[in-house]
Amino acid sequence: MAANTCVIEDLREKIRRIEGQRPAGVTFVSSGWEQVDAILPGSGFPRGAISELAGSRASGKTAIALSTLAQATRGQGVAAFVDGRRELYPPAAAALGVDLERLLVIRPDPVNPAEAARVSLWAAESVLASGAFEAVAVDVPLEDLRGRNPASVEAMLQRIRAAAEKGGAVAIWLGAPGGIRAPCAVRLEVSAGAGGWRVRRARARGAQDATKACPSSVVVHHAA
Amino acid sequence: MQLELGVTAAAPRAPAPRVLALCFPDLPLQRALGLRETSSFDRRRTPLAVERAGRVIACDPEARARGVRAGDSPAQARAACAGLELVPADDAADRAALEAAAEALLALAPAVEVDWPDTLLLDASGASVLSASGGGDGEVLLMEQALALTRELGLRCRAAVASGRAPCRALARHGGTMAPVSPGRVANALAGLPVEALGLEPALAVRLAALGLREIGDLARLPPETLPHRLGPAGLAAWRLAQGDDPSPLTPYVPRLLPEERLEFEAPLESAEPLLFALKRACDRIAARLAGRGLGATRLALTLRLDDRTDEHVEVALAAPSCAAARWLLVIRERVTALRPGAPVVAVVVAVADAAPCAMEQLAIGDRPRQLVALEAVLSRLAGRLGEGAVFAATRVDRHRPEAAYGARAFAAGRKRDLQSAPGRERGAKRRRSSRDGAAREQDPARPHDGEEPGAASPDSDEPTRPTRLLPEPQPLVALGEGGRLAAVRLGTQTFRVLALSPAERLAGEWWADPYDRDYHRARLEGLGECWIFRDASDGRLWLHGLFD
Repeated sequence: MAANTCVIEDLREKIRRIEGQRPAGVTFVSSGWEQVDAILPGSGFPRGAISELAGSRASGKTAIALSTLAQATRGQGVAAFVDGRRELYPPAAAALGVDLERLLVIRPDPVNPAEAARVSLWAAESVLASGAFEAVAVDVPLEDLRGRNPASVEAMLQRIRAAAEKGGAVAIWLGAPGGIRAPCAVRLEVSAGAGGWRVRRARARGAQDATKACPSSVVVHHAA
Repeated sequence: MQLELGVTAAAPRAPAPRVLALCFPDLPLQRALGLRETSSFDRRRTPLAVERAGRVIACDPEARARGVRAGDSPAQARAACAGLELVPADDAADRAALEAAAEALLALAPAVEVDWPDTLLLDASGASVLSASGGGDGEVLLMEQALALTRELGLRCRAAVASGRAPCRALARHGGTMAPVSPGRVANALAGLPVEALGLEPALAVRLAALGLREIGDLARLPPETLPHRLGPAGLAAWRLAQGDDPSPLTPYVPRLLPEERLEFEAPLESAEPLLFALKRACDRIAARLAGRGLGATRLALTLRLDDRTDEHVEVALAAPSCAAARWLLVIRERVTALRPGAPVVAVVVAVADAAPCAMEQLAIGDRPRQLVALEAVLSRLAGRLGEGAVFAATRVDRHRPEAAYGARAFAAGRKRDLQSAPGRERGAKRRRSSRDGAAREQDPARPHDGEEPGAASPDSDEPTRPTRLLPEPQPLVALGEGGRLAAVRLGTQTFRVLALSPAERLAGEWWADPYDRDYHRARLEGLGECWIFRDASDGRLWLHGLFD
């Protein structure tokens, strides 16, 4: 009887995929690192919400983001990387398991830094709202928007949050410590140390009970 | 010497091909009415007639009801119908409309002939096998699809399916939409039609009329052995046509140019909505023509002619070849609504700037067609706003220079499911790397590792780790040493202590073009993290090139 139930559920899942619907009951995507998953509610980053990885320039946050994209694109899905800083190195992404054929790189050509940041935010909003991607990593130098009206920057970020909710993708925001914060559901602070990456859970909205059972920080020992 | 002239038996005649003929009555009038429908947004409809060489050749039902007739002079027509709109005939435009319909109908038949001035002939040879019953149902299906397609193009026509070009054309021009005529009954179907319907040479038609032969049946009843003597070989050929015997093949229409549609508006357009309405009609027609040729547009060129005699050009790049007008319009709408032309639009030209084969794909279990459509739409939108070069999929390149180790190509949405190649790797690529001691190693990264699933991602354990971020331009570092050891580096105004430094990895080469010679180190800098720095062998300078972020 249990085997029949599994077969029926498997068929339902295939029909959902054929119809283009999100898999039922699966709302988190693994980061690809067990230690990081251990401090996340649901053992992964949530779909339809922004998860921020805040860290300095060589903290390890990009590797975690790329690893998440690799997990999200297993099978038929595609992922995107909004490369506002123009620094993404695809060979390293491939080494972390990302299928380069399924990774869309968006790298606006800057007229000036502020315009590049604004255009990158527009691209992130479009990509997240489309619903065509399983995961989107966004690396935009928000510090280049410091001269703009803070209310307009906040409005841009809220639009991105709404786009992530609409599209249902995993949105990974690469932020800087002390910088402009994105409206995120999960926030991890990443720093590099001698033994590996130190990852601390700074925020996990809407999952208070689940986080009680999770450790709040880990050290990820990585070969990379 | 006497030559013997042998009388050889006549070669057996090939059977007449099955043909679907579509006759477009009053094509000049249909085209003029369609043009008015698209280019004018004024709901008032005045009676319309078409004139050529000072004579009315066709008029719409309202004009006919008011007394306008073919052959009237313009003055007579206007006197009969006040407010009559008289447009001149345009043979070039009519031929273009007929060819456009032929192009679209290529989707239904292997060959289409343009029989000027008003008929298209489609090769219906294989249509009878379309239905399981093997009867005439397949030809009926073909006829229905052809009529539906021509209706979508804004044209109405009469159709007939029979054996032979000339008989089928005669039936379509002088009959109406009817059931397919079986091969043995073509002669009966033709019998009641006028002799002129066969499209004979004028001299022969005059001679047949002089003999009192008015209908095709009259000609068919003549004994054939008398015809060469009385009417010559042309007469015998006409008799065979009257029997429904026409084995001549179709002359296929081959479109030479990529399709283009022009629209001129009666009144200048000042807002986007009516312009988008007109663009939709044009895109639908172009898409049908491309579909007939098995092509999809990859780039569209829109030219908006403005009231101040200037042009506004818009180029729309599509993510993948597409013959679906709805997908084009998703991008066109965004581009057009973002335009701020300096004057109202008086005309628009939509052209296919670039096309590529657009094969139909069989969906597999697990494919998500809606997401594919959404993906193509967002790719087109991104390329339109950011430029094609800003949106790409990376591909590994077999070069050791780090900044050249990857290239960009058009994102194909991962449609090619090649289970034999590992992701992110070029097939058959071999890499040679020289370590400091000069030993060279070769690797074939396309060969899966033991125990690895085909197509699964796996870390490349043989390759040194590369940073996840590579700076667009290396940043200069000032080396600060103690006792011959690199103790710290200064980057701009900040100084970072070196906590760890890996052995050097030498990357050098390309002596023939732009030589480089660098010793790369992985350095852990206090307060910054793992960085990728190199010493340039040419001048000894130290540079920051990447970050292990």
